[in-house]
Amino acid sequence: MIAREGRRIGRPCRVSAAAAAGLVITLVILAKPATAGDRPAPKPPMDAGSERENFLDPLLEAAWKDAGVKTAAPASDEEFLRRAYLDLLGRIPSVEEARSFLGTRESGKRVKLIEYLLNHVDFPKHFATEWTTLLIGRSNQGRRIDRAALTAWLRKQFAADRPWNDVVYDLVTATGSNRENGAVNYTLAHLESEAVPLTARTTRLFLGQQIQCTQCHDHPNNDWKQSDFWGINAFFRGIKAEEKNATNAAGLETYDHTELRDEPSTATARFERRNGMMGVAFPTFLDGSKIGIGDDVIRRVELGKMIVDPKSDLLPRAMANRMWAQFMGRGFVNPVDDIGPHNVAANPEILDALAVAFRDSKYDVKQLIRWIMTSRAYQASSVAQRAGGSKGGGQDEGLFNVMLLRPMTPEQLFDSLLTATEAHKTAGGRDDAKREAWLRQFLFAFGNDEGDEATSFQGTIPQSLMMMNGELMKDALSGKSGSFLANVLEQARKQRRAPAPYMIDEIYLAALSRFPTTKERNMAMQYLQAFPDSLYVLQDLFWALLNSNEFILIH
Amino acid sequence: MTSSNMASPGGLSRRHFLGHMAATSLSIPALEFFNTLRANAADVRKKHRSCIVLWMSGGPSHLDIWDLKPDSEKNGGPFRPIATSAPGVQISEHMPNTAKQMHHLNILRSLDSKEGNHDRGTYLMHTGYVPNPTVIHPGWGSSCALELGSQLSDFNLPHCVSINTPGVGAGFLGMSYTPFMVQNPNAPIANLKPPGEVDEVRLERRLRMLSQVENQFIGQRQSQMAVDHKAVYSKTIRMMNPRTKSIFSLDSEPAAVREAYGKGSFGSGCLMARRLVEEGVTYVEVALGGWDTHTNNFDALSKRLLPELDKGMSALVADLASRGLLDTTMIVWMGEFGRTPRINQNAGRDHWPRSWSVVMGGGGMKSGQVVGSTDKDGVDVSDRPIGVMDMIATMTKTMGIGMDTQYTTPLGRPLKIVDGGKPLPELVG
Repeated sequence: MIAREGRRIGRPCRVSAAAAAGLVITLVILAKPATAGDRPAPKPPMDAGSERENFLDPLLEAAWKDAGVKTAAPASDEEFLRRAYLDLLGRIPSVEEARSFLGTRESGKRVKLIEYLLNHVDFPKHFATEWTTLLIGRSNQGRRIDRAALTAWLRKQFAADRPWNDVVYDLVTATGSNRENGAVNYTLAHLESEAVPLTARTTRLFLGQQIQCTQCHDHPNNDWKQSDFWGINAFFRGIKAEEKNATNAAGLETYDHTELRDEPSTATARFERRNGMMGVAFPTFLDGSKIGIGDDVIRRVELGKMIVDPKSDLLPRAMANRMWAQFMGRGFVNPVDDIGPHNVAANPEILDALAVAFRDSKYDVKQLIRWIMTSRAYQASSVAQRAGGSKGGGQDEGLFNVMLLRPMTPEQLFDSLLTATEAHKTAGGRDDAKREAWLRQFLFAFGNDEGDEATSFQGTIPQSLMMMNGELMKDALSGKSGSFLANVLEQARKQRRAPAPYMIDEIYLAALSRFPTTKERNMAMQYLQAFPDSLYVLQDLFWALLNSNEFILIH
Repeated sequence: MTSSNMASPGGLSRRHFLGHMAATSLSIPALEFFNTLRANAADVRKKHRSCIVLWMSGGPSHLDIWDLKPDSEKNGGPFRPIATSAPGVQISEHMPNTAKQMHHLNILRSLDSKEGNHDRGTYLMHTGYVPNPTVIHPGWGSSCALELGSQLSDFNLPHCVSINTPGVGAGFLGMSYTPFMVQNPNAPIANLKPPGEVDEVRLERRLRMLSQVENQFIGQRQSQMAVDHKAVYSKTIRMMNPRTKSIFSLDSEPAAVREAYGKGSFGSGCLMARRLVEEGVTYVEVALGGWDTHTNNFDALSKRLLPELDKGMSALVADLASRGLLDTTMIVWMGEFGRTPRINQNAGRDHWPRSWSVVMGGGGMKSGQVVGSTDKDGVDVSDRPIGVMDMIATMTKTMGIGMDTQYTTPLGRPLKIVDGGKPLPELVG
């Protein structure tokens, strides 16, 4: 395949294998089964990744000082643990994982946790899920799109630590069978309407440029012209998609896959100007670069080269801003993919520094994540310092001095519910099928030609009803054999002493990744003493925690 | 119930809570509970204003529905105009039932906007503003819910409902004013009841436990998102009763009524909108999708879209009028933009925000008129250009919301509900 020629597929792992293996062992040892009477270890001294200075910190501190805002206290271990698991693995930690991290007083344990999670099998899975949504949305794209193949392809890239520029190049230029080469599905999903959606999404996702408005008119607030949009669009002329049949088990010819290829093309993109005149655009990159014409010129390959051209800072800046937003709840520039002089970054120097460092790291996604996660901004608590007297508590969304709350995505919520309740271990069914059925209820796509969709997940009444009364919650709390609640009860029965505090701790750790406060524990104890049926009380407590804002909001 | 305890599950008064519980077991107190509810609702209805927006997602071809150009050789298309119950007003031959209701409605034929992109057009028409990276504007329906809905006391339904699509959200007004979405008006609202083994004692215990952890988290974080989460749960809990279920169910409607509206998602949505407005819901949006007719515009319209629209829309107007609800209920028909006068090579029409139509009536406005016009080929506005803000101003005035109403954005800037628009004197005197 042309796209892969001369490119490294994998790259050496940045973390030394020995260090990573050592860490895994440490954490596994720490994850010993809990016994009754376990109590949170005394708070270890703060070591929030601070043994090495993060280059972002002086810049962040300067910005905070300039703005005269107070910085939130460093996040507690409980906050950090939950946030790190959700951001890197797409789910909350299990009780064992929570106990092992909260219980250890090892120095540098946060940095070690980040390394552990980056090498966890769920990391590429979570990132592949996130990027599948970014690349083709959540809605069903029809039979021509092999969503699973795209996700599997992405998972492989993230697992192999492939540099971001290589991943992007492959996505932009992918050819062949959409089953064999999952990357093909990105282009395939956006070919309709003369590849207008592909044009808009490619520039937004990879270059952080919203040129889609210029499909119809010159941009009112920046320099983009209508011809810029169609200049990029012209790169997508010459793409051929062909459906291939195969003989199935019953001996019938049926659709098998779609084959994507490029043909040398002399076609131009034609568009209507606002004055009614027709415009004509040749393949032209955003910086004005043009390509040659000839039988050996594959336009998407030329576009791919220009997008990843190390002389352009668009790719690293777009990714740095997007990843910052993914971990911090807000980008330096917002919307995250609308970067330009018309939309000034809150802290341009920090974004610049991060983008340059990312490029210099040879587009190492995990290194970018390390910088973000060890920065003082990510290490800050979501609890704001109360500024004396003044309103607002010194919290400013653009300054990152306090961690912003973010709602979980539907996928994060679902996987977290399964982690907490182990509902999927009770039914004997495949959790993939269940996951899909449940997710479908949340996702609702508009049928217009932009391919946009509304995922109405944060806090609507139908979703609250589903969380409170829905099938999954009912299963999750049923106490059926194999479920988390069933195991807790069984473990508690085996305990020699004080089963109640043990059960309460387990439920708080499972749902909220923290031990209950004294007040919370006492209250739960009172309920257990007052009502004879402890399963009902535990179910109700678990229900309350899983339905709470503390559960669903990443803090 | 005061607004402060409305905002929290923990704030639900015991009386209110028991009302719910009693309602689930249908005991004597349940009847009392319902009776007060009905009395209040009936009282409120006398003055309360509502709005129903019929949202044509995709950009409806106005030239084939409301502003036909039979004399334009290249742009006219195959449809013929027919006379309507409003003297001198003609609409498409594929809207025969709506034609009989046009004396209740007005056609605004000279809308003039700049947004030819679905997202941006949807945003503009719902908020009155173009998208702006510094603020997420509230949907106009959410503003109505805030201004008018919150005046209703002891009201268990959402003030803002969107049927078939999620609608446009509440922007910085927060999740509390986000439309309640009905995905399928022909199906019951899902998950309205706790599972069978959770009786009233247990539900009360659950809510007390929930309230404790919610309040603690809000106390620590003071984040709007955490507060909004609690507010949504509070509203949700208020809806968890059999009365809600019956309001959102069309089962009790006579077969003839179901037939008149049409039983598809749009017709049923229109019928549900009438039921909700009767109960005092402030804003209901009913969406009909599939208008993005870049290809085969005329087939799609005559065979599929217009019959469905004609049934639902005409039945709704007639039904509201016969129940005396049209005076307090404004109806607005719109999409994100119109479609090109030029018919493309695929017998389709493309996006066209430059000169297009919106229809509105009811809510006490004058009716039976055409405001503005386009030229012979439908290309330019020839008379009386109407901006989107003029339309919003007209709607705002009709609803009796103060024209100077304004909010403060999260960045501390004032944002007016009507910014620079003028109500159309032809409609509101």
